Amino acid sequence: MIAYLSTLVVLVSIGVLVGLALNFQWGVAGLVNFGVVGFVALGAYAVALLGPHVGWFAAMLCAAVISAAVSTILAFLSIRLADDYLAIVTIGFGEVVGILLLNEDWLTGGALGIANIPRPFVSLVSAAHYDAVLLGFALALVALTFVTLEILVRSPFGRALRAVREDPIVAGALGKPVLRLRIGAFAVGGAVMGLAGALHAFYLTYIDPGQFTSITTAYAFMAVILGGRGSNTGLLIGAGSIMTLLEATRFLKDALGVVDGAQLAALRLGLVGIGIILLLILRPQGLFAEPRKRVRDFFPDDDVAADRPAAAALSARAWDADSPVPSFQHRESEVSSRESQV
Amino acid sequence: MVGQLIVDGLATGLLLALPSLALTVVFGILKFPNFAIGATLTLGAYAAWVANTFLQLPLFAAGAVAALVVAAVCVLSDMLVFARLRDAGSIVLLVASMGLSLVLENICRFSFGNATRNFDVAIERPIRWHGLRISHEQLTSAVTVVVCVVLVQLVIYGSPLGRAMRATADNPTLAAVRGVERETIVRITWVLAGALLAIAGVLAGLDRAVDPLLGWSYQIPAFAAAILGGLGSPFGAVVGALVIGLAEELSVLVLPTNYRQAVSFAIILVLLLMRTQGLLGAKAVRR
Repeated sequence: MIAYLSTLVVLVSIGVLVGLALNFQWGVAGLVNFGVVGFVALGAYAVALLGPHVGWFAAMLCAAVISAAVSTILAFLSIRLADDYLAIVTIGFGEVVGILLLNEDWLTGGALGIANIPRPFVSLVSAAHYDAVLLGFALALVALTFVTLEILVRSPFGRALRAVREDPIVAGALGKPVLRLRIGAFAVGGAVMGLAGALHAFYLTYIDPGQFTSITTAYAFMAVILGGRGSNTGLLIGAGSIMTLLEATRFLKDALGVVDGAQLAALRLGLVGIGIILLLILRPQGLFAEPRKRVRDFFPDDDVAADRPAAAALSARAWDADSPVPSFQHRESEVSSRESQV
Repeated sequence: MVGQLIVDGLATGLLLALPSLALTVVFGILKFPNFAIGATLTLGAYAAWVANTFLQLPLFAAGAVAALVVAAVCVLSDMLVFARLRDAGSIVLLVASMGLSLVLENICRFSFGNATRNFDVAIERPIRWHGLRISHEQLTSAVTVVVCVVLVQLVIYGSPLGRAMRATADNPTLAAVRGVERETIVRITWVLAGALLAIAGVLAGLDRAVDPLLGWSYQIPAFAAAILGGLGSPFGAVVGALVIGLAEELSVLVLPTNYRQAVSFAIILVLLLMRTQGLLGAKAVRR
């Protein structure tokens, strides 16, 4: 039982980590990354290759650093362009990582992959109790990442990122270094994806290119849209429920005798696609909308808030697909009503 | 050797011309990159395969059936998905098109499985001409693509409909003031894109074999071609496709064949660094 629970929790944790990373890049900073799986694969292979030489902890840190470094390079090449182009570049990157892993046999073992990846804390407990240790390790990693990202989102860095997401031109005019902020956001997301890859490698102890398919990317997008772009709490619930549901579909195979393995996989992915589309149309803000911040959230005792255009521009509005324009008027009317009360 | 590579490159490039044309016309009118082109192409290939195998239609007729079916699917997906997200911004639209791509691809996989299928056509010896080997499939697809491309260019640059399309692409509000209905133009654009993708699917299936990932392998090259030509420029897309096709085949001279697919990615990267508006595009995308 503990073995199955451990499997479930680790798989969900990997999904949550990837989702948190994408949520930071796309939800908070507005940068679409269709190459999620490429960064996860980088992290996993970094752990697999470095683990035996430098130990699991250093290898995990290296995975995060390598993934972040590659994100930085990719972001630097393309992020100053319109969002559409970043999406295309990242999708290409994901494919190229796949080709590299498959063909550079001398490094990655080609299609055979790499086995015997060292696991964390393996010498401390007996093999029989190891499942529980891995479960705890996965949960700790998720908790640490969640807290770090939540602090980042609430920090001035996160606030500036949301301003850039809403309107890069306004943010730039207010003196925010748009390019540097975007590259930073992409790098942070990349680091977390590297960690997710490391956890993947620790869990399976054996990796090959076939484990890293675009399915990972699709799940991450579904999780972020379901949870609500920009909301880390929403993401925890979104990713958790999706991964659990998808795990549950394994039992569907026994229930539906007519469907074979390939069809079941197709059914799952097709449903993820339908889910993405339906959520975008019916509930674009997701389950948990990013909290709508107002001027008075930042300046509670400040009566001259109306004189602070910078504060008004930086207070992030919820990413509301239905009303692209009117929220500024809305904020003004609110401020003026406060003034009339005074 | 090089001569043969150039022939193969032109054939590959012509095959790419149709999907990149479809991508670029949709981008011109709706202003979002449609990530579902690969899956739509796959759907076209399967539609033609069904018509060819089960209805015993010759491939030409099967292609026409596929074009009709896929055009209908494109219009339907516009009505169900894209029309409802019209004002949501290009990021939401491109994520939605990715979702649509998952749905279409997995409908094919669910219905027909992962096995590769072949069209029911006679296998013939390749033509030899001055030491060059040209297969019948290459010849068929080259002729088909050239006819399609000429037709599309005539429609876009030489007909009242094309003028209306270009007006909508340029400035939808102004076009509406002059009596060009945007929604009608959008539907017609989807029909055009669907038909082009279906024909591309048939030709791609003829070139390789029909499987659920058929379209995916054309996705990045088609984007590279459309970007190279300047997104939104129909003539540029065709030129871009020829350049990408030649570059992919000629890369064999310096790179291992496995890395052919990485060539278009490299071209996209270099292009985005050097010349963001593409070869023929005029619009700057740099922020």
